[in-house]
Parts: sequence; structure tokens; C-alpha cells
Amino acid sequence: MDRRNFICLLSRSLVTAALWPRLGQAADAKDKRPIQFTFAQVKYRGGDWNPHPLAVTPLMEELMLRTSVEAATARREVSLTDRDLFSYPFLYITGKYEFEPFSQDEIDVLRRFVSYGGFLLIDDALGQAGYGFDKAMRREMLRVLPGSEFKRLPSGHAALRSYYLMRRIGGVRMVNSFLEGINVGNSTPVIYCQNDLGGAWERDQLGKWTNPCTPGGEEQRRDAFHLGINLILYAMTENYKDDLIHVPFIRKRLTR
Amino acid sequence: MKDFYLIGNLPGWVIGLAVLGVVALLAQQFISLKRRLAVGPSTFLVLLRTCVYSVLIFFLFGPAIVENRVARLRPPLTVLIDTSESMAFPASPKPMPEGKPGKSRIDLVKEKLLDGKESLIHKLSRDYDLRLYRLGTSLEPISPDSVGQLKATDQGSRILELLQVAAKEAPPQSALLIFSDGITNGDKKTLDGSPALPIPVFAVDVGETEGFTDARIADLRAPEFAFRGREFKVDLTIQASGLKGKTIPVYFNRGKNLITSRTMNVDADPFEQKITLSFTPRDLGPHSFNVAIPNQPGEQITGNNQKEFKVDVQRDKIRVLTLSGSPAWNYRFLRMALKQDPLIELVSFVFLRTPTDSVDVPENQLSLIPFPIDDIFLEELKNFDVVVFDDFSHRAYFNPVYLDRVKEFVRDGGGLVMFGGSRAFDAGGYADSSLKEVLPVELDGKGSYQTQATLRPVLTASGKAHPVTRLLPDPKANEEAWNKMPPLTAFNRVRAARGETLLTAGDGTADNAPLLTVGRFGKGRTLALMSDEAWRWNFIAVGNRETPQNHLKLIRQAVRWLAQEPSFEQVQIRPIPLSRPGEKVAIKLRVFKDDFTPTAQASVQLRVMGPDGDPVIVSTTADSEEGEYTGDFTPTKDGSYRVEAEASLAGKSLGKDKTSFSVAFPYGETDDGRPRPELLKKIAETSHGAFFSIHDWNEKTFDQMKAKLESQAPSQIVERRQTRLWSALALRPGFGVAWCGVVDAPDLGTHIVSRLVSRVSSSGSEPDTEDARPKTHNCR
Repeated sequence: MDRRNFICLLSRSLVTAALWPRLGQAADAKDKRPIQFTFAQVKYRGGDWNPHPLAVTPLMEELMLRTSVEAATARREVSLTDRDLFSYPFLYITGKYEFEPFSQDEIDVLRRFVSYGGFLLIDDALGQAGYGFDKAMRREMLRVLPGSEFKRLPSGHAALRSYYLMRRIGGVRMVNSFLEGINVGNSTPVIYCQNDLGGAWERDQLGKWTNPCTPGGEEQRRDAFHLGINLILYAMTENYKDDLIHVPFIRKRLTR
Repeated sequence: MKDFYLIGNLPGWVIGLAVLGVVALLAQQFISLKRRLAVGPSTFLVLLRTCVYSVLIFFLFGPAIVENRVARLRPPLTVLIDTSESMAFPASPKPMPEGKPGKSRIDLVKEKLLDGKESLIHKLSRDYDLRLYRLGTSLEPISPDSVGQLKATDQGSRILELLQVAAKEAPPQSALLIFSDGITNGDKKTLDGSPALPIPVFAVDVGETEGFTDARIADLRAPEFAFRGREFKVDLTIQASGLKGKTIPVYFNRGKNLITSRTMNVDADPFEQKITLSFTPRDLGPHSFNVAIPNQPGEQITGNNQKEFKVDVQRDKIRVLTLSGSPAWNYRFLRMALKQDPLIELVSFVFLRTPTDSVDVPENQLSLIPFPIDDIFLEELKNFDVVVFDDFSHRAYFNPVYLDRVKEFVRDGGGLVMFGGSRAFDAGGYADSSLKEVLPVELDGKGSYQTQATLRPVLTASGKAHPVTRLLPDPKANEEAWNKMPPLTAFNRVRAARGETLLTAGDGTADNAPLLTVGRFGKGRTLALMSDEAWRWNFIAVGNRETPQNHLKLIRQAVRWLAQEPSFEQVQIRPIPLSRPGEKVAIKLRVFKDDFTPTAQASVQLRVMGPDGDPVIVSTTADSEEGEYTGDFTPTKDGSYRVEAEASLAGKSLGKDKTSFSVAFPYGETDDGRPRPELLKKIAETSHGAFFSIHDWNEKTFDQMKAKLESQAPSQIVERRQTRLWSALALRPGFGVAWCGVVDAPDLGTHIVSRLVSRVSSSGSEPDTEDARPKTHNCR
């Protein structure tokens, strides 16, 4: 190890040590409160269901740091046929490549899940429209909700203002500047991002970001975290921010 | 008077033949006698026989003495005197000197009928076969002696219908005489479509239209109920007479408070204008309104210047305020249940951030809004029906004053819910707050929030019947539905339940800690669910392929019960229909125990407040159907009546209910006091009678009426008695002597003539009448 690398490692260690008590304190304070949110990630056959194994913890930490939600820092891995799937009303599914079609049972379960109050966040880790994960996921969602296609979410969608007032979508790469979603009734229980949010959230065990975000850099990563928090709060509060009482405030802030 | 008449009915040619025959016979007899006697005696005898034959021929003409005896009959006459309430109005609109009260219309009628040396009623009784009735909503026979005691008290006047009845019952060729102001308010208001009256009507108009001054609210249409916060409209028709050129204000009041006013310019006589008023109620419950026109100068009738009406203001939506300590799945599914219910309007606040959370952007990049705590808890709380504390701790945000307001809110009738969680009940510090005595559980500060539990909801005996936990109407199916509910994994322990426990937490031990309790505080209701995981009853049920509807129903029923929706009340007064004064009203109500089973043992207090506001206690009896009670009440005057009922069982209040009902005469007799001479004129015209004004009534008028009546139906009957002379004659023996004196031989021709004459005259004498009127006419 040369001197430059040693100084970099020492600096990071010192920074981590300096932050550790704060994180510890925060953890201590929230340890007393029960877990209200568990990030559940869907496992599926074929493809690569886990391209970013270390993505969830940084997001949960950010969630707890910024909001009143108490979350489990570790994700829960579930398959669509797990008996306790419905104990986790928030599901995350990601991947890069094509995967095996869901079984009919899995289709039925997922249909009930999103039709009766569950939320599904789809995150394309490859970012290639019409290829790989994107192709497979769109195919499967047509089976889950026949006749329902992904539609671009408007910039004023409740999911984009559930906590942060989002003007930009983040992620590892800017494939789309927008989100897509499938509406059921008045809510959008399925939201799809093609920008690899998980890749932006992921941090290695040393605390280094695994993937650079291009072209926007760290600001783009910060947008990815903000979007993750927004989507979790949207899942837990639905169209709360569309309530009349919020509208004048939000409108005023957005026009500044 | 006796007169001589020839009443024979033989044809002339028969008599002519008889004459020719007699002449021939006489000639033959003269010739025959001349052969035996001299000319002189023969001529004498022939002359004698000529006399006889002449007399016999004379009798062929049927001579008779007719005696005419004129007998006078009293023609029938039906007199109708209007005694409806409008006859109490002044007869003349002209002001009396020195402010003295003027004569009423009925007084004027009585005066005309009874005054004078020989009163009109006496004359009528003398000259007519009189039938006397008072006319109002029906015909009631009266005697002439009771005319002086007549009062204008009939609720309405059905003139056109009752004239038809009177005409039908009257004998033919009689007449009707009616004294009325012409105001009719039966089903028929005009003669159009009415069958023609078969007998003449003499109509006497009472009451003057010239100078008649009146402003009135002719018609008012208002809804019986309205929704809070939504405008309702009241349509009015204002009429005025004798006020042309004047400006009339119309005031719309709620109780004694003016809501709005309008001004109308009276530009015609008579005048009519329709206006619409509106009001947006803010408070629930029955409200009294009135529309009024100030008394105008010269107005004789002021009772029709004001109309009252009641509007029951109901909530169009149940307004629910939720405060959630943080985003949570319980909030998400609670929100879903409330938002899907069209009867519920939700205002929710979720604390997305705590004071210890740090932000990484400027505030203007956050969608967080300041929590309007003062607005909500100091001003707006009364506009909500139910407040929900969803895993919400007051310690971080609340001044104790706000909790005091919540306590007042519940005491005054609001609903309060507390859902469990790590910030609820004891864990939320409520044991030291003013909500301690409000909640339906006992808190001692030691209760804990436990996770890692597995608890199944167990329905208690109260829960089986309570409307909150009665998810299905069939008790067995309801219990099964609860048995299938997914288990919960988190739970708030409390010291004990204060209210009714509907669910206990079944964890396999003998604990049976309360899981869902309901209670009352003041006029309000409270509910405590000792878990923040009720959402599992929804979403886990979906995962188990069971219905999520049970959770949605639980939430909706809880809200309705807390908001004291009528169908969830333990005391329910049944709707009372429109009634009439003097008509008994059966007030029915149902009473339920706290577990919503009907009870026949309740102690019921029932009060009725009339238009004057004086309460009347009405005793009730239990009906045969359990839970049903009835109290009888007879309203004595028209107006709006309020009913309040309260029930208790074993000293504990079960609840209250109130309602209102209206009592009104169906006729609106005193609404419009303007006389209607035009109607009376038309009646007289179409029936070929005559119309008179009572002010013009005098002897001449009486004679005019009499003459007209005479021309239509003569009042005398002539009895004719005729006596045929042949029957009476004592001459017949003389004929025999004369005959025998000159006939010495049988004279067949003469004999035949004599027998013929005798047969024609053989009917004798009989009376005859030329009027077919029935003979008996009795005054009833």
C-alpha cells in the first residue's frame, strides 16, 4: 500500500469513527421503538434477483435518519409463494437479466398483493429498455394485471412529494427522467424505475459507494435516496400528500 | 170557490147524432100524437118531451159543479251558514271609529238573520219548509234557535263540495240559500269540472273586498332536512291586496336571529311575487326558522304574515380527524378504509418527522407542512365528529390545553378513538393526561407495549351483539368470521377496561386482556384498540385468501357508532307523520341495551314541547314487541312539536333521541282572508239563482228571492172537487113521472137514451188536484 492509499484509508476510518457514535446514538434512540418497516426483496427463478446485496441497509439508515419511521436495517428476502409474504406490504424487485416466468400461483399472489393494498417497487439494474430484466418484468406484469400498462407518472404524483418535493429522478444512470407506474383505483401500487436505484444506494462494507452515478454524480445519488424514501413513505401513506390541506403549501413551495 | 163546468168526454159527433136522433124522434112522436090528439095537446106533449130530451142531451155534456180549494204549501228551502274560521275576520276593511273592534262576518250574518221585529229567520221558517245547516268542513244541521250561538270555528270550508251534497239531499224544486264569504279550501277551488247544481242557489256574500288590505305568505316550500355546510333553499310566494305602491320587507330568521331580508315593491293590486331565500347551516340538529312580513297599516289579518318551519340539519359526511405518530401500515389501511367510505370525510395528519430527525435539504424542498395545532384544537375541533389518535403521543407536540379541548369535545358528543402502538396508552403518557378518564380503559402508567406476541381476537358476549363488532348479521357466522381473523403480533397492555370489552386478546393463556373496548364520556363515545396491527386483519386475510372486508367493516362501523349515527343509537324514536290538532299521535320508540339487544325493562322518559315551548311529560308503555315503547299525545294546536326521549336501565343511561313533528290543519283556512264574491256570483249564475251582498239585504231582497223561487216552484196547491149533477139530481124520479105521464106505450128509444145518459154520468163526484207535490213537508 502506498502512502496515498494509506492516507485515504486512514481518513475514511477516522471519518467513520467520528460518525459512529452519532449513528450509534441514533440507533440507541430508535432501538427503543419497535420496527415499523421491513424492506422485503423478492427472489425469483433465473436471472439475477440480487444485483446489489448491500443496497438496502444504507437506504434504511437514511430512512430512519430523516423520517419518523423505524425500520429494520436488514432486508427480508421473500419469494412470491412465502406464507408470510403479506406481512410485508412493501416489496422490492430488481434484476439485470431475463428471468423465468412466474408460476400461475405466483401471478395470482402478486395480483392480490397489488390489488388489495400492497406496494411493489420495480428497479431495473441494467437499464436497457426492451432487454433483459425490463423485458421480463413488463411481460410478467401484463400477466399480473392484464390490460394495465405502465404509464409515465406525472411530475405532481403523490409519490414524488410524499416527503421530498422531487424535481429529478436519481439512480446510477439516467435512463429515464421519469417513473412509470400502474394505477389501481386511485393509487399507484406498482412503480417502476429504470435508473438502477439499488446501485445508487449500495455501499460496501467499508462505506464506499459501490457504483458511481452518472452523469450527475453524488447529487444524482442523493436524488436516488430521496426517491427511495419517498416511495417507502408513499407506500405507507398512500395519497396523503394529495389531501386538500397540503395542496396550497406544496404549490407555494414548488413555485418558488 | 165553486164553478159550473161541463166535463163530459163524449165526442161531439156522438152528441150531434143524439140530437138528430132526438129531433127525429120528436117529429115522429108529434106525428103519432097528432093522430090521436089535437094539435094543441100534441104540441104541448111534444114540447114537454123536447124539454126532457134537452135535459138528457145536456147531461151528455157532463155538467158538474167543480169546487176549487186553494191550499198553500211551504216550499222547501235549505239555508247554509258558513261557520269556518275565516268568518271570524272583520266584515269590513274600513277602520272603526275610536279603534272599536268591527263586526265579524259571522256576526253580520247573525244580525241579518235575527234582527228586526220579525226576523228573517222567523220569516223563512214561516214561509218555507226550512232546513238549516252550518257549513264548514262538513254540513251540520242546526235549529233556528241556535243561530244566535253560532261561532266561526270550523277548520276549513268546503263550499263547492258541500253545495253539491246539500243540493242532492234537497227535494226537487227547492233552493239553497247560502251565507258565506266565498273562501273555499276543499279539494275543489273553482267550479270548473263540477257538475251543474240541480237547484238554484241564492248566494249572499259576506265581507267586503273594497279596501281589503292584507299581505301574506301564501306559500312556503322548505326542505324537511338539510346537510351541514350545504346551502338549502326556501321558496316563498308573497301576496298582497290593497297595498299597491307600498314596499314590503320580508325577514328570514332562525329563531330570533335574522339571517337575511328582502324588500318587495308592490306594484299591482292584487299582487303576487315568488322569491327564494337560502341558508347554509353549520350546526347539526333540528333548527326552527321563520319567514315574517311586518304588519302593514290597515291590515285586518295579521296571522298570515308569518310562517314557521323546521329543518333537521344532518351531517352529509362524518368528519374524521386522525393524528398518526408516524407513517405506518396501520395508517395506510385505516386511510384506505376511511377513504373508500363515501359517508366519511377524512382529515389526517401524519408526523413524518420527529424533532430528532435531521434533514439534508432546505425546508422548502420538503413537502412537510406545519401542523396547524391551534386551528385544529382551539377552533375547528367542534366541526369534526370523530378524532383518532393513531399511535400518537401527545408529549412531543401537545400543550395540555389541547387535550382538555379533546376532553370537552368528547363530553359534548364527539367520538374519540385511540389505536395502540409504542406511543399510545401508557406508553404515550396518557395515564397522566386529562384523557385518562375519557378513555374506556384504566391507565396506571405501568402498561407496556409488547411485540413478538401472537394474539387472536376473541369476541366477548358484549362483542357478539355490539354494532361495532357485528360484522355479519348471523351471530354464528359473525363469531366464525372473528375466529378466522389473522393473529396480531403487537399489543398494549392496560390495567383494565372501563367500558364494554368487545374483544379480548387470546394468547392461549388465561389472561384475556382487553383488546377492543368501547365506552361513553358525557354525551360522547370512546373506543380503544390496544394494538397498531389491525391492518393485519385486512392484508394478511387477503394473503390467506380471506376477505379484507371484515377489517374495512370494523373501521366503518366503529366510526359510525362513535359519530352516533341514528342507526347505531340505543334509543330510536320512529318518524312521526304530519298530524292534526285534536288527533291523537302515537309516539313510538325502540330501546336497546349496551349490547344492542332490545329491552322491555328500560325506564323511558318522553317529553313533548309544543309551539308555546311548554314541555308535557308523556307516559310510555312497553309494547308486545320487545324493545318497543309507545306514548300517546294529543296536540291541541297547530305548529311544530319537539319530542325528546331518554332511556335508562338499572340506573345507567342507555341514550337519548329527539325528533320533531308538525301539526297543522289541512285547510289553511286563515291564510287568506280576502272574501271571494266572484265565486259566489258564479255559483248563483250557473245554478240560475241570484247573488246578493249582505249589506244590500233588506225586505225587497227577501221578496225578490221569494218571487224568483215562486217562478220556479209555485207554493200553492189547488184542491179541486167536482160533483157531477147527474149523480146529485133528485130529478130522475121526476123524469120517470113525466115520462110515465106522456107515454102510454113502451117507448124503447127514449128508454135507451135515458140509460145511455145514466151510464155516462155514473162516475159520481171525486176530488181532483192539479199539483203533484208530495204532501208532507216537515222541518227537520
